[in-house]
Amino acid sequence: MGISTTTTPFLTRVKESEKDKFMQQAVAKAQDAQWDKREASRKELGHWQDWRKLGEQIRQHVIHYLPDYLEEFADNVEKRGGHVFFAQKDTDAVEYITKLAKEKQVQRVVKSKSMVTTEINLDKELLKIPGMKLMETDLAEFILQSDNWDEPTHIVFPTLHKNRDQIQKVFEKLGYDGDNDPTHMARFAREYLRRYFLQADMGITGCNFAIADSGLINLVTNEGNADLTMAIPKTQVVVMGMERLVPSLKEAEVLDNMLARSAVGQKLTSYCSFSGEQVTGESDGPEDLHVIILDNGRSKALGTPFESILQCIRCGACLNVCPVYRHIGGHGYGSIYPGPLGAVLSPILGGYDQFGDLPFASSLCGACTETCPVRIPLHRLLIKHREVMMDKLKMDKPTTREIMKTVGLGTGTPNLFQMALEFDHMATRMFVSKKPTTVQNLYNHEGHITWAPSIAKGWTDVRDAPRPPKHTENFRRWFQNFEESKEAVRHGK
Amino acid sequence: MKVVVFSTCIVDLFFPNVGAAMVEVLERFGCDTVMPKKQICCGQPTFNSGYVVASQKTMRNEVDSLLSIDCDYIVGPSGSCVNMLHEFRMHLADDPEYSKKAEILANKSYEFTQFLYRVLHIIDAGAELDAKATFHRSCHMTRLLGERTAPFVLLDHVKGLQMMPLPHIENCCGFGGMFSVKEPEISKLMVNEKVDDVVSTGADILIGADQACLMNIGGRFSRRQLPIKIMHVAEVLNSNVDMSRVRYADTPAAV
Amino acid sequence: MASDNREEFLNNIAEKAGRPRHQLAEHPFIPLNDLPETTLADKTPAALFDLAKQNSQSIHVTFQTADTAGLADLLNQDIQEKEAKSLLLPTDDRLAEYGLTNWMAGVTPSPTYWEPTGGREENIQRAQNADVAVGCVDFLCAESGTITVATTPGQGRSFHFLPTHYIALVPKSRIVPRSRQAMDWYDEEIKAGRLHTSNINFITGPSNSGDIEMVLVVGVHGPIDMSYIVITDQ
Repeated sequence: MGISTTTTPFLTRVKESEKDKFMQQAVAKAQDAQWDKREASRKELGHWQDWRKLGEQIRQHVIHYLPDYLEEFADNVEKRGGHVFFAQKDTDAVEYITKLAKEKQVQRVVKSKSMVTTEINLDKELLKIPGMKLMETDLAEFILQSDNWDEPTHIVFPTLHKNRDQIQKVFEKLGYDGDNDPTHMARFAREYLRRYFLQADMGITGCNFAIADSGLINLVTNEGNADLTMAIPKTQVVVMGMERLVPSLKEAEVLDNMLARSAVGQKLTSYCSFSGEQVTGESDGPEDLHVIILDNGRSKALGTPFESILQCIRCGACLNVCPVYRHIGGHGYGSIYPGPLGAVLSPILGGYDQFGDLPFASSLCGACTETCPVRIPLHRLLIKHREVMMDKLKMDKPTTREIMKTVGLGTGTPNLFQMALEFDHMATRMFVSKKPTTVQNLYNHEGHITWAPSIAKGWTDVRDAPRPPKHTENFRRWFQNFEESKEAVRHGK
Repeated sequence: MKVVVFSTCIVDLFFPNVGAAMVEVLERFGCDTVMPKKQICCGQPTFNSGYVVASQKTMRNEVDSLLSIDCDYIVGPSGSCVNMLHEFRMHLADDPEYSKKAEILANKSYEFTQFLYRVLHIIDAGAELDAKATFHRSCHMTRLLGERTAPFVLLDHVKGLQMMPLPHIENCCGFGGMFSVKEPEISKLMVNEKVDDVVSTGADILIGADQACLMNIGGRFSRRQLPIKIMHVAEVLNSNVDMSRVRYADTPAAV
Repeated sequence: MASDNREEFLNNIAEKAGRPRHQLAEHPFIPLNDLPETTLADKTPAALFDLAKQNSQSIHVTFQTADTAGLADLLNQDIQEKEAKSLLLPTDDRLAEYGLTNWMAGVTPSPTYWEPTGGREENIQRAQNADVAVGCVDFLCAESGTITVATTPGQGRSFHFLPTHYIALVPKSRIVPRSRQAMDWYDEEIKAGRLHTSNINFITGPSNSGDIEMVLVVGVHGPIDMSYIVITDQ
């Protein structure tokens, strides 16, 4: 799939999302439920703000010394008998894995949910190998795969946009003949996928955290599918973004605790595993382990104001609090990384031409920044992207640029602002609506405005605007009168 | 004590009722208010849109004008704009002269309810308003300025005022400065839910501490032809005041 | 397939970041607070037991206790309740320590074992066929109801995942406050060369998913239910 999920323009996607009432309700319901669970689990832990500082410190330290940690990790994987491949681009990673699959004559691949393998479009490339069968084993990813590779809408809940009836229809194509009860459908998926697990000759996983000082891979799932993927096939491939390291098991333990609370309001994800290549004497687990460490544009964030986005632990909390995500859903973003994290990361990985709309699709409410367990200043990074696009790359329309320059001038030059205060009431006369308003105490100056030209049209497309007061009735004049009367009283005494 | 009024461009341009109410409340509690005439705007419209270069003059003008009168405090009727004054420390950090000024400015600047509660230690401003109301919590005031207590304490003590809890109080109303103009499609979805939530409380009055959010939510109410009265918290605290009701707290709750 | 492009890759990172390589020796990670260690560290063993019970139950685990004398009876009862036709046990000295030697010889159904020399396919198949597995785990974390276990030749990875029902045996003395204390132990054992394992599992209740309309379904890929038996005199 790559980072981009669509070629549809941003505004069209937003309008499509607007029509999808089921999706909006599902997202809102999920956000509200997650809000309570997440906050309760953090409160129970106690000292959450100090935990966040610790989480931030761990991730910042790793990013700061990234080459050193990668080197240490790679050495330790190799010491355990595994292989490490450093992939600069998505195609390098895909090429390595398909070559490996061909060499080993792999015919049955099981995968556990991994954003990064979606990013490099691995599934579809592997399926080009003749005779290859590949199965996504995370329940949600399995549903998406079975529904003709539908797009995920959330990094933690990929099928948020589907209801049980739709899922039942998808499963019926696979031979399911039960009702739409989620437990029944999940049991069907269990049996269906179990057969694949037992025949699989290659397992592919992502990586939550790579442990530098031991060469182990930390994976977390609630379903246990990653563990089966790492236990049964003889060959295991791990694909990881190059930033997903931690110094030792201890820091992985800290972040796993924060991840589970932030992602789903649990104290720990049901299965947290720390694993590597099979050790002599053990019967299962990979006899051959390959770890692919991927850059694919991540290094473009290094040494820039955007470096902190590499701290992200993919918990999805920023999506779960985002009021924009709430309404446009995952598909609206057009990136496999949606929400605030996606709006910051996608332009770095995929460029401004493709994802330049995303940083503007935020009211900068700061809910993402507030909830982020590793303290990424997400909304500030969105402003930073805007600055790069406007001030440095000058990507805006010339007319918008002129207007914004004028706004800058007007808000920075007292005489100009005074002039505006003199004439704004008069100037808006032609726009005053004849229609009465239902709102009290907002339109106190001879009417309100229901249509305005130029960039103000965006405002009146949605809502009415107040009319400015006459210059004799504005706040400056009121204060002047107030001061004079105060002065008079003072002198009167 | 001498208090500089940070009027904010939105109050200067549209809402004299809000500025007047704030000044009257402050004066009632012994503040000698003054207003530097050269102040205009905190710079968020351009800065938050990515026009950081075009914001430089605006931010410096605001620093200079607000510091042009010697005072004890600077008080404004907007959590968002006051937060921006605080953020000048960050945005002007590369300028040795202005970063020093920004520090002085930040240390003196308070949002209106924050000033009443945390500086003057008022919990009951003596107001009375016989109505059912709900409060919209602005994102910047709550999350960036970090003030999530003051307006609630003050409103809870207004005689006759029945405060209804607002569902999804944590969600943005869809204003977001230039966002509301540049992304009307998304903003509309957000403000619609906010309007629905306000309606669901059965409140007659929507109160807020950021007039820009109220202008957005109220504007959508008007467009949807739904009845509501909009009041800035300063107007509420300036209603039917009886000074014998005023109460102070020695120790305000943690932020 | 050696990682021959490693240097180029790492140099590129260092260059983009504008920071030289090989600085870590002088700048090791030193955590800025000790919350992971101190959280719940002041709890008494009795309080930890209560917490462990409460938190295990909240994640849909059947929480049971027995002393070594009563353990066999409890296991028989549990196995009967699950109507198990096949039982999987680990090759693990701890079963004998828990006084189960006689039980192992006489239990119905007659157990199969995960055997150190049993072969990959064979052991996996045994786990796949098992209605019930009784595993020996290393710790129970009170805060989260998490059991932890390192893979050994006698108790493989799939042992804990493929069987339909899973019973974990844990001595009361191995109840720790949080996942941190368990992790500290593994970290130390591995670094001291005392523990040779390719895999550590932290398991918090039976497998589950909320992928269909966010409705919690217990029992997806792993066991569909889980019991912890705390052995009170161990």
